[in-house]
Amino acid sequence: MLAEILRFELRCQLRQPVFLLAGAFFFLTTFLAVTTDAVVIGGSIGNVDRNAPFVILRLLLVMSIIGVFATTAFVANSVLRDQETGTQELFFSTPIRKRDYLIGRFAGAFIVALAVFVPVVLGVLLGSLMPWLEPERVGPFRAAPYLQALAIFIVPNLLFMGSIQFALATLTRSLVATYAGVIGMFVAYGVAGSLLSDIENERLASMLDPFGAGALDIATRYWTVAERNTMLLPLDGDLLANRLVVLALAVLAFAFAYARFSFAVDERRGGWRWPWRRSRTRANAGGPEASEAAETAGSVLPTLPAVAPHPTLAISGLRQFVHRARMEIAGVLRSTGFLVILAFGVLNMIGNSFAVDRLFGTAVHPVTHLMVNILQGAFLIVVLVIVTVYSGELVWRERTARIHEVIDALPVPNWVLWGAKVAALAIVVAAMLGTAILTGMGIQASRGYYAFEIGVYLRGMLVLAGIPFTLAAVLAVFLQVVTNHRYAGYLLMILYFLSGPVLSAWDFNHNLYQYAQAPSARYSDMNGFGHFVEPLVWFSVYWAFAAGMLTVAIHLLWVRGVAGSLRDRLRLARQRFTRPVGSVLAMLALGFVGTGSYIFYNTNVLNEYIPGDMREARQARYEQRYKQYEDLPQPKVTALYAEVDIYPERRAVDIRGRYSLRNKTGFAVGELHLSVNPQVTVRSIDAPGLRLRLDDPLGYRIYDLDAPLAPGDSMELAFDVAIETPGFVNHGSNTSVVRNGTFFHNVAYFPRIGYSRRAELNDPNDRRRLGLVPIQRMPSIDDAAARENHYITSESDWIDFETIVSTSPDQIALAPGYLQREWTEDGRRYFHYKMDAPILGLVAWLSADWEVARDRWNDVAIEVYHHGTHRYNVDRMIDAVKKSLDYLTSEFAPYQHRQVRIVEFPRYRGFAQSLPNTIPYSESIGFIARLDEDDEEAIDYVFYVTAHEVAHQWWAHQVVSANVQGATVMSETMSQYAALMIMEREYGPEQMRRFLKYELDSYLSARGGELIEELPLLLVENQGYIHYRKGSLVMYALRDHVGEEALNAALKRYVEAVGFQEPPYTYSREFLSFVREALPAGMESIVEDLFETITLYDNRLVEATYERSSDGTWVVNLQVESRKFRADGEGAETEIPVDDWIDIAVFGEREPGSSPDGKVLALEKRKIDAAETVFEIVVDEEPRLAGIDPFTKLIDRNPDNNVASLSAGDGS
Amino acid sequence: MDRVLTVEHLSKTYPNGVRALNDVSLEIPTGMFGLLGPNGAGKSTLMRIVATLQEPDGGSVTLGELDVLREKDQVRRLLGYLPQEFGVYPRLSAQAMMTHLAVLKGVPPDELKETVDARLRQTNLWDDRKRRLDTFSGGMKQRFGIAQALLGDPKLIIVDEPTAGLDPTERLRFHNLLSQIGENIVVILSTHIVEDVSDLCSRMAIISKGEVLLTGDPAGAIERLDGRIWSRIVERGELAGYERDHHVISTRLSGGRTVIHVYADARPADGFERVRTELTDVYFSTLKRAGAAA
Repeated sequence: MLAEILRFELRCQLRQPVFLLAGAFFFLTTFLAVTTDAVVIGGSIGNVDRNAPFVILRLLLVMSIIGVFATTAFVANSVLRDQETGTQELFFSTPIRKRDYLIGRFAGAFIVALAVFVPVVLGVLLGSLMPWLEPERVGPFRAAPYLQALAIFIVPNLLFMGSIQFALATLTRSLVATYAGVIGMFVAYGVAGSLLSDIENERLASMLDPFGAGALDIATRYWTVAERNTMLLPLDGDLLANRLVVLALAVLAFAFAYARFSFAVDERRGGWRWPWRRSRTRANAGGPEASEAAETAGSVLPTLPAVAPHPTLAISGLRQFVHRARMEIAGVLRSTGFLVILAFGVLNMIGNSFAVDRLFGTAVHPVTHLMVNILQGAFLIVVLVIVTVYSGELVWRERTARIHEVIDALPVPNWVLWGAKVAALAIVVAAMLGTAILTGMGIQASRGYYAFEIGVYLRGMLVLAGIPFTLAAVLAVFLQVVTNHRYAGYLLMILYFLSGPVLSAWDFNHNLYQYAQAPSARYSDMNGFGHFVEPLVWFSVYWAFAAGMLTVAIHLLWVRGVAGSLRDRLRLARQRFTRPVGSVLAMLALGFVGTGSYIFYNTNVLNEYIPGDMREARQARYEQRYKQYEDLPQPKVTALYAEVDIYPERRAVDIRGRYSLRNKTGFAVGELHLSVNPQVTVRSIDAPGLRLRLDDPLGYRIYDLDAPLAPGDSMELAFDVAIETPGFVNHGSNTSVVRNGTFFHNVAYFPRIGYSRRAELNDPNDRRRLGLVPIQRMPSIDDAAARENHYITSESDWIDFETIVSTSPDQIALAPGYLQREWTEDGRRYFHYKMDAPILGLVAWLSADWEVARDRWNDVAIEVYHHGTHRYNVDRMIDAVKKSLDYLTSEFAPYQHRQVRIVEFPRYRGFAQSLPNTIPYSESIGFIARLDEDDEEAIDYVFYVTAHEVAHQWWAHQVVSANVQGATVMSETMSQYAALMIMEREYGPEQMRRFLKYELDSYLSARGGELIEELPLLLVENQGYIHYRKGSLVMYALRDHVGEEALNAALKRYVEAVGFQEPPYTYSREFLSFVREALPAGMESIVEDLFETITLYDNRLVEATYERSSDGTWVVNLQVESRKFRADGEGAETEIPVDDWIDIAVFGEREPGSSPDGKVLALEKRKIDAAETVFEIVVDEEPRLAGIDPFTKLIDRNPDNNVASLSAGDGS
Repeated sequence: MDRVLTVEHLSKTYPNGVRALNDVSLEIPTGMFGLLGPNGAGKSTLMRIVATLQEPDGGSVTLGELDVLREKDQVRRLLGYLPQEFGVYPRLSAQAMMTHLAVLKGVPPDELKETVDARLRQTNLWDDRKRRLDTFSGGMKQRFGIAQALLGDPKLIIVDEPTAGLDPTERLRFHNLLSQIGENIVVILSTHIVEDVSDLCSRMAIISKGEVLLTGDPAGAIERLDGRIWSRIVERGELAGYERDHHVISTRLSGGRTVIHVYADARPADGFERVRTELTDVYFSTLKRAGAAA
């Protein structure tokens, strides 16, 4: 009997269109994920194989989560089918056993749900065979990862969700309620996920994650490329526990459903009603029987009252339209599904609001545009779901309710019927966005922020969501009408949503053929929506015309009454294509072509439209043609003078500049090579005896010199160039030159001497595809010739700098140097800046309407140029500057300038950068950070970033490395070190430990994303995760071994030795030799571990006991395990013997101000030279915890098991 | 009355090959017109085409001066339609739904409430007007259906199988309602229940397998058969013999025994009694003849 029920169940389920649709969708998604970069699931990047075990595990896990929606259909169907088809009486009255019935049905549904994953596996398998994949990135086929994903994720997850849905469907007897329950679970999942997203709660979050995604993340987050390509998932620890809990819950849910199920026919047919509604309906109804009884009890049928006949009915259309739209809107707004999905969106926003722009665990002020960002990231998915689902619901509403023949025979024009549905969708979109805005304000108010910028909300919502989603709604209705098949309409809509990213990934980037798309826009408090508005408006109008044409098609093809054959529909369409309809269509088409032409004129005529592949091809060509000149002897810039006129209103800059060039080589230079940004208009480049020989539009020029420049000789080169931003572009608009907040560098727009490496393609996959040799990111550390240049610019050593910059009268213009004079001329404001000593040749110009805060430190002027409303952390920055100057001047060298200026720029770019006496600082990394005075735990990253940048005035602007591997050690790593020390003085070592925890996590997580090869710190090739993150850890550990005083003394000697040096420049080996001098005897080997190799540890406390001795002290016995590894560039590890001094610590009770582990009772470095070591430590107070390397000064991928609580020994 | 409905050479074949209508021509005057035929005869297809909801393959339909197939909007202004099967919007009260339909029908705002109330009272739904339609019984729903069809003072009313599935009381009540509809408009009642036609209609047509078998007034049709219908009670085992030897037009059970009706000019055999001819006999003999001819 069980077998028969199972067979029957399978037959029923496999015939559902949902099965085929889900299968097709799953296949397509995985296939695209494996074969293109358009759909990213699993994370195959750089050198990670497209079918690496790691990728397969992640992909199948994600699919098992998405698959929940299909599972719901199967499971709910198995429970509710009998009731919907009215066959329950038939079934329930047979002598089927409950056990057979329930298990048979559930097993059937489960098997079908599992069968949907066959296409997923096929998608990966077939995908990895596709000929266009780079063979380098396809690993050998292995069955193990598939089986593992099946056993660990797919089966448990489907069982879990399936049994919960089974219980829900059994209890509620309603499909909508079951879906609502599922969505409710996702809500809880999403909210819990974002609430727990911080590093502090990650283990709890991973345990609560019913799909095992969190546990997988934690298990694999530090996997390197090599591990991603080869390793399987170790099923232990949190992951195992999580999976067992999930299976247990699945059994519980099924048992619950089993217990509650009864064969009695349920009276609540066809719908889940709220309990209170049900009772009300009963109360005022009285039941059909009652009223009919009253009627038959002798009432006489009333005769027809005379209603005056009206020869002309009041069918204006408008009234009907309004009435109808109201009905449609109410239909959506009152449906349970809508409310549940909306609630999901709201909760998702709230959940996400805790994570937004958080850096080092520190929150930001909830300014309005961040709320708009949250809304975009966390809420729009919900609008998308609603638009898609309810387009089908509305188009099919009458037919589902079987009232279409009544409605369709009514004397209303077609446009009323379809128009009301489209209007209803648009209003539903508006209502949802309104709800989202209120949610955003609620979030702001709940954090005590009341400066609601309604205008930003409204404009942001209208342009970024309201218009595109209304347009999408029209498309969704159109697809439903054209296909006249609900699921086909849904499928096409999903394809449409996928088409955008897929087309873009295939370098079809133009928004003119991506329906409802427009150039992306970013809001900045400084610049508002800025220049993004104009193209958005034009594209919106353009697509509105397209949507209008779609509505004409809807009008012509709208099904009224019986759909009929295609021929019937076309005949009807011809009938409906009346003269007015024709003229409307013609006008819309005219508008469409007109706006489209204007857009094309802007994006492709006034500007050049460069899709991604073309840009890459140009970069490749530039490299192929001109790399040969990289080592050509060229003169160096020794002075730069520039007159720069910034025109913020029209986003333009005129630059008239002059280089002093000097031939520092030993050869006569007969030709001058210049790289010119192709987007810059060159008006003239001139020098005596200069003749243009080659002008390549790729941006390379070669000039002949009439008289070759002899070694040691100088010349002047004058140039006149302009940055222009005519009209608007399709993508990649210039965000450096803007209405308020212009910020550009000389290296971006000025002619540069010689070949520029900046344009070289980095991704090894792109390079292979374009036939380029593997990139050399930086010259080798052993390349002596390369030491003739420093790594900041190759075209200059130290330059004299002077500039006159003008801007609009409402703005201030800034550049490095000291203000000589300020004046107004012809309605423009002029500033003359001049540097009093040579500086590195990287400078920038900025212009905006700032407020200025001023202070002093000794004779150094401190100025912060900030946006009017961004006053929150200005004092903190000034304070950080002062404390940094204190530390840096006393520890390393005097400050070479008389001024420190921090200058805010728009959040289009998110960094801070130290230029001579000037620090441009993005509005996104500190100006709105929310640092609560009361929260001692919060990491003050504003202080950290500021200290880091100030430190660069020494570590980059005094000591600058040669352009070889390891160059950034002496700038970035050393600035990290200085910032850490300055921060530690201010906030104490406990905050440093929290900070370093983030640094360790960032470093380890980023290793798996390495595109080429991880290098030891000494050889770092400008890799951020190494020179910043690992650099912090290395320098902190070094300081720990050497002592701050000794280390800084060595560094001071180093600065004295190499500061402001002329070529050849210093390099990391030289730096290390100064460090070595400071090392205590016997410590020499740590340099190898910290700088010269990639060394990792796995330290663990195996067991610790304690007992009280007779003299009142406590004796702690610790057994620790310590293992040490060396990794290669891809992350493959080899174990080496451990022989290190490592912290061993014992902690007592927690006290205010103590570390989270408790008061430190003992902390000492012990020599460890075996994998297993036993220690005895005597302390004065009762110990509670003990461990090895408790503060994770060593790079340890599993720091959580370093410390554990003590167990009382025998004697206590 | 000039608004007379003319159906000429109407044909409709479904994509699956079913010929729903085969060269159907009808002249339908004012008054109640019964369209009688078995399930699957093509009645609903015909009704839908006349109600502007379906496209025929060929032929024409005119209502007075109006071309029904092209001037759909004009026709809909004159139309009241109760489809064979109709559902309701969930969670909507009878009154709200009626108001909505009245607005769509074009009832002017100042008459809206009056009209809706009148229709609800007329169909005895007034006491239940606040109830949700999806809780209505079958009879109440049909009454609601006819009430909405009467909105806006239609000149052409089409009711498709309105009494199917109703209990006798509800059917009687429904007949009463239909009988109140004015005589000077066209009312087409499609049904497979002979009593609907005999009780209500002054004109009728019998349609089967997409073809019109008979048109005329019920009384005349009965008259033409009068005196030629004979009946007798037979045993179950004898039925086949009778069917072979006689022109049996119908068999039915009465008190557990089989009663046959036979068409014959004179008493076919002993034991047959002449019965008063009823419309049922006309209906079955017409179908039988068509079946034999086919």
